[in-house]
Amino acid sequence: MFSRIVSALAPRHTVHAHCDIPCGVYDPQQARIEAESCYKIIQKYHDSDDALFKARSIHVKEERAELTKHHIDVMWHDYFKPEHLEKFPDLHDVCWKASKQASQVKRTLDIDEAQKLLDLIDKIDEMWRATGGPQSTRMQQLEPVAQ
Amino acid sequence: MRRLLRSWRHRVAVVGHSMEPTLRAGDWLLVDPLAFRRRSPAAGDLVVAADPRQPARWLVKRVAEVQADTALVLAGDHPAHRRDPGSMATVAENDVIGRPWLRYWPPRRLGRLS
Repeated sequence: MFSRIVSALAPRHTVHAHCDIPCGVYDPQQARIEAESCYKIIQKYHDSDDALFKARSIHVKEERAELTKHHIDVMWHDYFKPEHLEKFPDLHDVCWKASKQASQVKRTLDIDEAQKLLDLIDKIDEMWRATGGPQSTRMQQLEPVAQ
Repeated sequence: MRRLLRSWRHRVAVVGHSMEPTLRAGDWLLVDPLAFRRRSPAAGDLVVAADPRQPARWLVKRVAEVQADTALVLAGDHPAHRRDPGSMATVAENDVIGRPWLRYWPPRRLGRLS
């Protein structure tokens, strides 16, 4: 029910506050790496008895969570197109939940919340792969140099 | 009410940070496509316009200056971006799609735009 309401309200177009042409390179791994940092930092926070380390961990984790949110928003607003929404009707709902979950991770030290964020990013990754993202938005890697 | 109905087809999401603090990335706005039917955009107006370098891409900006009657210089609100060439564009008045006038998401920032 709630996802239906969000879908009905969802914008039909993006408007860019910045004039530069987007580079067209998108990959949910950017969000995943920052979210993994949050997960690991929370683990290290709980394993430590050092008050200074704990304080620094909270600060860094909040920065990483904000970066995660940024990369999720870039996928949501810049990569995904209306035709992708036809293929994945829950696209807006998944991206919205992932963005909210990044905010949740920013304010908590609960490792389960960090895992939920990783799971949501993996759903975005599935949609990105199923819509040809790896072929259309990443440069194809060169063949590895023979050993 | 009429404005709400005609703007509903022009629901847009903001991407990027150069319009902060007025608009934030992730804000959802309604754009009135008839706002400039009776008057031309003037300096200080918020506008949504087609990017002259890539017309399918829409920009949201504030008019900084009107040149030669129909050329608009657009700039961001963010102090750090205001003089950044990457944040400025010159568009024709015909490129203007409408005026964003209402933020409807997130709910805590619901309200008219100026």
